[in-house]
Amino acid sequence: MLERNQPVLLERVYNMTNAVDVEEYKKFKGFEGLANAISMDNEAILDELDIAHLRGRGGAAYPLGKKWRHMYHSKGTPKYIVCNADEGEPGTFKDKALLEKDPLSVIEGMLIAGYLFKAQTGYIYMRGEYRQIQKIFQQAIDNATKAGYLGENILGIQGFNFKILVISGAGAYVCGENSALLNSIEGKTGRPRVKPPHLADVGLYLKPTLVNNVESYAGIPVILREGGQAFLDLGSEDGGGTKLVCLSGHIKNRGLFEVNLGTPLYELIFSEKYGGGSSTSNPLKFIHFGGQSGPIGAVDELEDCIYSYEGLWDKGLSVGSGAVVVMDNQVSMIDYLVNVAEFFVHESCGKCTPCRLGTTRLMELLKKFQEKRAQIGDIERLEKMMTHVTHLSACGLGQSVANSMKSGLKLYPEEFLAGIGKEVRKLEEVSW
Amino acid sequence: MASLNLAEKEAIILEHESDPQRILNILLELQFRSEEGYIDEETAKLVADRLHLSEARVYEILTYYAILKTKPQPTYVLKVCNSSPCHFSGGTMVMEVLENTLGVPVDEPTEDGMFMYNKIPCVGACDSSPVIKIKDTVFGNLTEESIIQLLDDLRAGHYENL
Repeated sequence: MLERNQPVLLERVYNMTNAVDVEEYKKFKGFEGLANAISMDNEAILDELDIAHLRGRGGAAYPLGKKWRHMYHSKGTPKYIVCNADEGEPGTFKDKALLEKDPLSVIEGMLIAGYLFKAQTGYIYMRGEYRQIQKIFQQAIDNATKAGYLGENILGIQGFNFKILVISGAGAYVCGENSALLNSIEGKTGRPRVKPPHLADVGLYLKPTLVNNVESYAGIPVILREGGQAFLDLGSEDGGGTKLVCLSGHIKNRGLFEVNLGTPLYELIFSEKYGGGSSTSNPLKFIHFGGQSGPIGAVDELEDCIYSYEGLWDKGLSVGSGAVVVMDNQVSMIDYLVNVAEFFVHESCGKCTPCRLGTTRLMELLKKFQEKRAQIGDIERLEKMMTHVTHLSACGLGQSVANSMKSGLKLYPEEFLAGIGKEVRKLEEVSW
Repeated sequence: MASLNLAEKEAIILEHESDPQRILNILLELQFRSEEGYIDEETAKLVADRLHLSEARVYEILTYYAILKTKPQPTYVLKVCNSSPCHFSGGTMVMEVLENTLGVPVDEPTEDGMFMYNKIPCVGACDSSPVIKIKDTVFGNLTEESIIQLLDDLRAGHYENL
């Protein structure tokens, strides 16, 4: 049984004095999840994960139990275990806390995967901006190896061999896309692959590969230690567990919070325990959920919103990476979206045309509204371009570029109308 | 910082077992320990040779990833986070103060070759915005005064490790 409102993922982050020390980790129930896993049937492990209903914490919210079951039944050896630690979604800094202050929990999660899938090699791909944390993580790996938790015949079990390599990113947001990440590990430029096939069938070096986010891996030992039901009870029916939420922008208590899925959104934003309301003297206007690729909600319309997967989906929003960027009423939606568009222009990898050119076209159109020189028909043009980029782009980056713009246009059409210059006349379509 | 000699560069490559999977680790380490903050042609050739890759592949990687540089950098490159949480919480103020104090536009080095500032995407320090990042160090919760102080301190050489 786990109490709601008790930190589960951040307990060690708050309380350990030496994040890379195996003995101290064990005092905080470290490696108990692994100990349970090796005493269980493989099917029983998969069942617990299904019951726990952990949704992928990188942003896609795909049920982890399903992904692991797929991986379990995929043919081909060797299998690879990969941890996506390329945390690059603006407004997100949750993985950083785990990697820096509780790396052994991530290692334990990967190790359980290694045991279940009989994989011998794990990779953690960590963003280049976290170079200092890569060193801390390497130390944790070295200590775990010395203590016999990594290496050969782990815990005395013949043939249970597992090692973890730390691979650095070097400043490419798109490498957070799992197939781009695998290409980058292979020493190629980190551009996405065409999917399907699923990475659980054809992944790293074309072998079955499990890719999960840092926070997802950190949740695995909790599930196997406390049971799937206890984990589910921490959250809500549509997604178990607690979620690490990153509050930033114009909010009083900026920072990282561990939140039970199912908590009212207003509690998260306004209660002193969490956000504490506006940090400026101005009322809050809108919230950008889940990073730059996520949708935007108007604060006034979210009074009854519940912070859970379904609670947000009901409002056309999403949990995403756990970023919650709050802006006050001094920020124009157009200015905000221009900033978002600039980000995607910079980060589009250029492999597919709809994203390479579409992001630029979107930025140009938004700038026309910003500079009050948009023309009648530009709103329709913007909508068309958003649809175009969303439906034709090859990977998740391009497909989600327009999420924020779509919601911004829907919530604040008057700001777009105000961007249409008075003197401009409607352009007539020329028939061919 | 003195530039790395061949033996030191080779040691970095060997530390990573000449493993092409870890080419980014290797290039970053070489760059961060280089005198002018970039991978010169000689170093790129060395990496290609030791990792059994073509030079073209090494340059493909060098030019693809934003952190890796192929041209000499000023002593202090001030990286200002431009993603929305920072941009709208003081990021624009930082850019203005830097432009006024250093007297050069964004992406251009100062005449003495000491400073340059540029915009970069999220560095994961949104809870202490606005921020400037220099190499691996983040300076957060900046005000106009603290930015000017930081520039003075850098000029005076108070940050030897940067």
